[in-house]
Amino acid sequence: MRRLTVLLLALAMLAGLTACGMEPADPNTAQESIQVIAMDTVMTFSIYGEKSTHAVYAAEDEVRRLEGLLSRTDPESDVSRLNAAPAGEAVTVSEDTRSLLEMARFYAMMTEGAFDCTLAPVSSAWGFTEESFRVPSRTELDGLLQHVGWEKFQLPEGQNLTASHDEGVEIDLGGIAKGYVTDVIAGILEENHVPRATISLGGNVLVWGDRPDGTPWRVGIQDPARADAADGYAGFLSLTDAFAVTSGSYQRYFEEDGQRYHHIIDPATGCPADSGLTSVTVVEKRERDANSNILGSGTECDALSTALFVMGEEKALEFWRTERESRQMSFDLVLVTEDGRVVVTDGIADVFTPDETSGYAYETVS
Amino acid sequence: MPMRRSPKLRPNGWDALVILAVVLLAAACAVTVWGRGGGTGELTAVVSIDGREVERVALGSAAGERVYAGNGYTLTVDFEPGGVTVREADCPTQDCVHTGTITRSGQSIVCLPGRIIIQLTGGPADASAPDVVIG
Repeated sequence: MRRLTVLLLALAMLAGLTACGMEPADPNTAQESIQVIAMDTVMTFSIYGEKSTHAVYAAEDEVRRLEGLLSRTDPESDVSRLNAAPAGEAVTVSEDTRSLLEMARFYAMMTEGAFDCTLAPVSSAWGFTEESFRVPSRTELDGLLQHVGWEKFQLPEGQNLTASHDEGVEIDLGGIAKGYVTDVIAGILEENHVPRATISLGGNVLVWGDRPDGTPWRVGIQDPARADAADGYAGFLSLTDAFAVTSGSYQRYFEEDGQRYHHIIDPATGCPADSGLTSVTVVEKRERDANSNILGSGTECDALSTALFVMGEEKALEFWRTERESRQMSFDLVLVTEDGRVVVTDGIADVFTPDETSGYAYETVS
Repeated sequence: MPMRRSPKLRPNGWDALVILAVVLLAAACAVTVWGRGGGTGELTAVVSIDGREVERVALGSAAGERVYAGNGYTLTVDFEPGGVTVREADCPTQDCVHTGTITRSGQSIVCLPGRIIIQLTGGPADASAPDVVIG
């Protein structure tokens, strides 16, 4: 009888051992991480939970699919076909492309043109598209600006999946594509009941749930003044279920005759935005409720980070206050200025931690 | 009452076998659980090219210089105790060289044109290090 008990115990241990070797169902430990090079950047998807493996590869598939629709270098993409079509000709595009074009137009109107997806010819003139940098003349820029403006492309009502544009207009959805990708991935995380994840697309981050130890994710904001340092931060945000997007002049730039030219073009001048800011971070909550119908927060953060960088500190904060009062959008900001200040809006002041080694003066505004 | 040992309960060869099996299983269980390591192993550089892992270099002792090629570009990488640096690259952007030396788990050096990623894993956990960086 005792011998039988001992045998049963041994069997129980064997069962335990097998369980050790299997994929653990505990959301604290099951984790899948992949890196994907797409859309001109490195993306890291780190997903927890039972369906983590399925979710990371579903996310990668979506990234590849959207890249195929939105790429400006792939001649078969929706965007390339639209740009190549003669002026006024309606081009059939996918649902994703059409809704991105609608959002691009919406944010252009909201920001009075500070965000503009028709800047492609100007960016190309500076060499930011092909990495062949040059400083275009004023005359050249003025000529190109004739073809810039959100009213210069059309999204016909009643023909839901078409778009057309005026003569000489070129569309580039790169300014909101990564934000849109994070929105789509948030949908995948929701569908798969993912308990926690971090999704990083360089300047675009989505944190989902909390850390395995139950505390919020710690998100570092790159210090623009120490862009080359792997651990130089302007500050940290403690976030759960949120999008955070940074646009900074340090991300892409070139130097000529001692002058630095960065990639965030002001649609009003056709030149790199000279707004007194070095980076803008836009933070927005992503509520986990499929019925709340606030999809698109990732896209919104992406569009606004660019637009508010172009506007500069004063106008950006004015925009933030106006939107907060009208309750149209509910985002918060971390602005890093050229004169060594970090300005944090009060909605995230309690989750923001300064980096004591950065040398910045920190301010909270309301 | 005097204790009388029943002959049936005297340990025999089968018992020894069962005990041996239990001990072995216990050891196996312990190894499986502890072998998982909670990210506290040696600091290791994982090199992947075009999404595929090609090499793992432990940074405990100096591993010296290695050369990687991807998508027509070549990177010369220095592996030193505790850190990795791309010393030279023939790509147009030089982003990987500008990244400097990475020293902590989670940090990475990326060559977009060559589709080469060098990422650090393991090593001591740093509570003040962010989980994710934007910018």
